[in-house]
Amino acid sequence: MSANAPAGRPFRDGLLRLDPPRLLGSRCPSCGTTAFPAREFCPSCRAVDGLAEAELGTEGRIATFTVVRQAPPGVAVPYVLAQVDLPDDDVRLLTTVVGAAPEDVALDLPVTLELAPFGTAADGTALLGYRFRVRPSRGEVPA
Amino acid sequence: MSLAPAHVAGVGMVRFGKYPAEVTLERMAVGAARAALADAGAALTAVDGLYVGHVFGGPVAGQRIAAQLGLDGRPVSNHENYCASGATAVREAWVALAAGLHDVVVVIGVEKMTDRISGGVRPDPGDLDAAVGYVMAAGHAMSARRYLADHGATREQIAAVAVKNHAHSVHNPYAQYQTPISLEQVLGARPIAEPLGLLDCSPISDGAAAVLLASPAGLRRLGITGPTPRVLGVGLVSGGVLTGTGDLNAEDVSRRAGEEAWKLTAVGPDEIDLVEMHDCFTIAEIVRMEGLGLIPRGQGAAWTADGHTSVGGRLPVNPSGGLLSRGHPVGATGAAQVCELTWQLRGTAGGRQVEGARTGLAYCKGGTVNGTDGGSVTTVVMAR
Repeated sequence: MSANAPAGRPFRDGLLRLDPPRLLGSRCPSCGTTAFPAREFCPSCRAVDGLAEAELGTEGRIATFTVVRQAPPGVAVPYVLAQVDLPDDDVRLLTTVVGAAPEDVALDLPVTLELAPFGTAADGTALLGYRFRVRPSRGEVPA
Repeated sequence: MSLAPAHVAGVGMVRFGKYPAEVTLERMAVGAARAALADAGAALTAVDGLYVGHVFGGPVAGQRIAAQLGLDGRPVSNHENYCASGATAVREAWVALAAGLHDVVVVIGVEKMTDRISGGVRPDPGDLDAAVGYVMAAGHAMSARRYLADHGATREQIAAVAVKNHAHSVHNPYAQYQTPISLEQVLGARPIAEPLGLLDCSPISDGAAAVLLASPAGLRRLGITGPTPRVLGVGLVSGGVLTGTGDLNAEDVSRRAGEEAWKLTAVGPDEIDLVEMHDCFTIAEIVRMEGLGLIPRGQGAAWTADGHTSVGGRLPVNPSGGLLSRGHPVGATGAAQVCELTWQLRGTAGGRQVEGARTGLAYCKGGTVNGTDGGSVTTVVMAR
């Protein structure tokens, strides 16, 4: 474990690895398609045998996004929700995006995976999920 | 294999809107069903079975309705496909008639939402999208953002869907909203999920719609001898698991739903005179029409702003006012679309009548499933 490894466990089994933070998908041995979240079949060729766990790349780009201004009770707004493409894996996933004011988020912005608090389990353990952070542009000092 | 059409012997609705808690699911459903039976001049004793579409009605809502309506004891089934629930009930009723199981059936779509839903609807809590913050409005907002960037469309053109559908519903006595709205009102409305605002979103509504369907033998039982609009067939497909990073607005699920409809009915897309389209959000009407192949890719927004999808245009979409204006009690919508197509095909739609309407399509898309291009999609093809 690295010195600043987060305490807690993933909010769902098989979805992510904490140290270092990685999303976990499945890769098809027949056609090479990667799926996230992991599935017990290949969505491209329908193979069901030999699907392997795949650690996904951590760098992505915003394919589209919205600023959610109204949500059901108990959900704090506003927040940025995006479809993020991971080009190394040819995977698109839904995620919240942080690290920029809503008005500064744009299509094609580069983003990086990070862990995010995801509530608390019934036994008191902290739960961890994922989100993506806008990568600081060159020359900019990260906050 | 082709199945026989189902004849629409009668239709009925209660006006969609926001009703107090004492106007219950059962009461609305009974009101719509009685109106459909009266429209056909049919007695309760003529009915073989009841098909009910709903999402939030709870266990055996259909049987609770039957016990209030007077169809207790009959075969009753409940159908949940989120916003396509009502249309799915129509499909199952059509299949039962074609199979010879029944000759006269009542289909009801019904929902009571305003006392139990606030802030918008979202996927099942067990779905990964819900866990990371998805709400329906957000999904359509992301679709709109990409559409604007990919097709050179404007925000005003997308907003024109709401203006057009509200202009139509001025003439629909069953619509929740019956007053026109301006482009400025849509653009200036409170933001919900950018770039979409409040008037880009269909409302949370209560309501019910009912359809009395019959086989030829059923029509004889009912003593109906004149022409009736027919449900030629109902396509049903589910969202597919997506791979890769292709066009976010590909709407392959809509393409497949259209193909199902054309295959089941031998009607081609060029024969469709009007469409009742699931415009749960403004952008949804545009990308779904394009996915079906009824409007060329990337041109739906401009078509709307240019009036091509207005009553009187080349392909009228949502003469009823659609979900944006008629309201969207989710389980009721598919049945309400069949009511509207029936009135249009009879030529009795009044100020919103599509002149010369011979063949119509009603499309519903219900729910979302993580990683797919949708939950369920239905395509009802009707002819006069």
